[in-house]
Amino acid sequence: MLSVEALEKSFGALQVTNQVSLQVPTGIRHAIIGPNGAGKTTLFNLLTGELRPTAGRIVLDDLDITHLTPDRRARLGLSRSFQRNNLFTGLTVRQNLAMAAIVHERRGRCFWRPLAGLSTIAERTEEIADIVGIADVLERPVRELSYGIQRQIEVGLALATAPKVLLLDEPTSGMSPEESGRIMHLITELPRELAVVIIEHDMHLVFEVADRITVLNYGKVLLDGTPEEVRSSDVVQETYLGGGLD
Amino acid sequence: MLTDGGFWIVQILNSLQLSMLLFLLSVGLTVIFGLLNFVNLAHGSLYMLGAMIGYSIATATGSVWLSFFGAPVAVMIIGAVLYKLLIERMRTAGPMNQVLVTFGLIFVLMDIARYIWGTDQLGVTGNIPFYGTIEVFGQFYPSYRLFIIAVGLITYAVLYVLLERTRLGSEVRAGVDDGETASCMGINVEATFFGVFLLGCALAGLAGAIALPAFSATPDMGVGILVPTLVVVVVGGLGSLKGAIVGSLLIGTTLTFGTALIPNFAGIIMYALLVAVLLLKPEGLYPVRA
Amino acid sequence: MMTSERLRQLITFVTFAALVGYWSTTGYFGYELIAEIAVFAILAMSLDLVAGYTGLVSLGHGALFGFGAYMFGLFTVKLGIAPATGMAAAIVATTICALLVAMVVVRVHGIFFIMITLAIGEMGYEFFFKYRYLGGDDGLVGLPRLDLSGIGVNLSDPSVFALAMIVVTLCVFLVLAYLLRTPYGRVLTGIHENPQRMRALGFPIRAYRISAFALSGAIAGLAGTLTAQHTQFITPQLLHWTTSGEVLVMIILGGLGSLVGPIIGAAIVTLLRHELSSYTDYWGFWLGVFLIIVVVSRKDGIVGWLDYLRQLVAERRRPETAEEA
Repeated sequence: MLSVEALEKSFGALQVTNQVSLQVPTGIRHAIIGPNGAGKTTLFNLLTGELRPTAGRIVLDDLDITHLTPDRRARLGLSRSFQRNNLFTGLTVRQNLAMAAIVHERRGRCFWRPLAGLSTIAERTEEIADIVGIADVLERPVRELSYGIQRQIEVGLALATAPKVLLLDEPTSGMSPEESGRIMHLITELPRELAVVIIEHDMHLVFEVADRITVLNYGKVLLDGTPEEVRSSDVVQETYLGGGLD
Repeated sequence: MLTDGGFWIVQILNSLQLSMLLFLLSVGLTVIFGLLNFVNLAHGSLYMLGAMIGYSIATATGSVWLSFFGAPVAVMIIGAVLYKLLIERMRTAGPMNQVLVTFGLIFVLMDIARYIWGTDQLGVTGNIPFYGTIEVFGQFYPSYRLFIIAVGLITYAVLYVLLERTRLGSEVRAGVDDGETASCMGINVEATFFGVFLLGCALAGLAGAIALPAFSATPDMGVGILVPTLVVVVVGGLGSLKGAIVGSLLIGTTLTFGTALIPNFAGIIMYALLVAVLLLKPEGLYPVRA
Repeated sequence: MMTSERLRQLITFVTFAALVGYWSTTGYFGYELIAEIAVFAILAMSLDLVAGYTGLVSLGHGALFGFGAYMFGLFTVKLGIAPATGMAAAIVATTICALLVAMVVVRVHGIFFIMITLAIGEMGYEFFFKYRYLGGDDGLVGLPRLDLSGIGVNLSDPSVFALAMIVVTLCVFLVLAYLLRTPYGRVLTGIHENPQRMRALGFPIRAYRISAFALSGAIAGLAGTLTAQHTQFITPQLLHWTTSGEVLVMIILGGLGSLVGPIIGAAIVTLLRHELSSYTDYWGFWLGVFLIIVVVSRKDGIVGWLDYLRQLVAERRRPETAEEA
């Protein structure tokens, strides 16, 4: 369970995160929506530790992680995907996923056995490749692959460390409708012991997968509720959805 | 020695004089770093060429004054050739490749200098302007060294006005801040870069030419001066005029007083200073891009 | 089609075969050359581990190299410790030194990393230049070689010493090549490629960088103790930043991040220095020009060129698969 209490972040006079609180219990699919510049990615960066908050607390399973480093948080079970593909482009898909599998198997300090001889890492790699649907391109260098497939690898890397909370930053951005459909399906199929926080622009996807939605605007929580409550809210309709939601 | 006021006056003047030479070198280097994101290890070699060419001009024409103008122009032309041949295409190649190419240039330029001027120490003796000594607070000090200090201060003043008060200056500052945005705003970033690079070369050449009468010139002098210059640039902060002058004074003073007081450890103190600054302020004292 | 991996194995085999072949046909001068190549090959591989695989371009590796040599001198000449113990102690001392340096330098990045390693290296240079107890700028003489007569190896014979150096180079190569194939080695590659992602995955990248730098320092220290035993005379020049620069040049000429490239680079630079300096006083000019051409061509040195040729040949042979890829 991830809990965010009155989180604040300002860059000089500019307040980009203002008193944001969230509760993300195990198993929930929590969407964060809001117009561009609402502070969604900043919030993610605060959660993962790439940015330090000015005030507030972040608690993961009763442990205060507000001041921990990003890698420490990741090892505690907070994993993220990036809005722009952030892969090891010079390596193959297998080598990419193996990086995450090394974390999962806690083998990063192993300097006495060749990677190729560690079957658990290979198994984990293939398992994740199956889940995100890239098993047929495992041996291909990442830079040769299409944008959509790279996007799947992006999600695969975040997933492969077996996190407790998965943070997905616009997983479908730049994808064709067919490709987004695959990602949507993937998210709905994720195991239920996993909490997912997702930033998304595609409202169909949001209302399809989310159990709960937080609407951000100017760094503030405008509304926090079920998809139904968000859909019917006048404030949200006016400021964000522009009344054009069908 | 320490209670002797004369010792302090002479050392202060010495450190000012070294600081100003370092400033002339580092200001060009720092703006090239900051504006072009280019690491030029061969900057010290341009200083060496300035001294060598200055020597040739002074001996051929009998006028040291002429070398102060001729050497910077000649070094600027060499810089233009290097820019068009190499530096332009290395701009996006990353710091390591830039380090390597300019490291190669050091060898090339040093051997060219050895081929042309030989390996002996070269110096000019006749017709030196401001020859003799002058009394400063009761101490006799070579007037020529005061002239070096003056050149450094005047250069700083001119650059300050140029950067802070003119359109070219604001273009340069915009380019250092954010090259992409600057070019969107219609500033010809490429032309500005080229101009700044040439100015940096000319200042390095000037530093070499005015150093020649006070010291002497050898083909490896560029390697010797390079490291303190880099230290100034990194301590001051890449791309910052203020950083260059403050860094120069800091390093020049450290080196001069260090050599006078604890000769065995002057160099070590300078490097320790750099390490300390980088640990406390990883971007240097006055970073342009905060 | 030959893979990139196969090609590198072939290059490695050819390189070592050439060294051994040269050894078997040469005389005194050649033995000296081989020992020098081996020392720099080991130093260049140690730098390749941090610069090529971990992405830390250090201009202070010459200082670690020289530090190792001076520690060996301190332990054997000044303190009278047996060469074998002295060698081990010198490597340990250099590793600790590299570890301390690493804890400081990994806090800065890019050009600042290059500068801070250069500065710390120059501090070491200044120190040994001025430190009279270890000879100051005159250097230190009378360094001993390991006594392996117990196992029938006489290292004071230049021919035997040269062959031993080839063997040590091969051992360092094999150890590093093995290490890079372990999960730890793969993590280093990942940190070079994309540190931000590695951190997001949960790797404490600073700790990995520090450990890699310390390991690299250990190997640089080993190279230092070897050069001390080879020339039996050391000067502060070993620590100078231009030594670090030259080693970086070797890596780039041979091929950054290829492990065998640095060996080839060390051989080329050492041979060029000796051969060119007998033809011309201006070998630095030609080395500089050569270096600039290699870097500007951006093909990752000689190993990169060979790999590029392999791809050309492969594409010509099988145009249909080339199109598909």
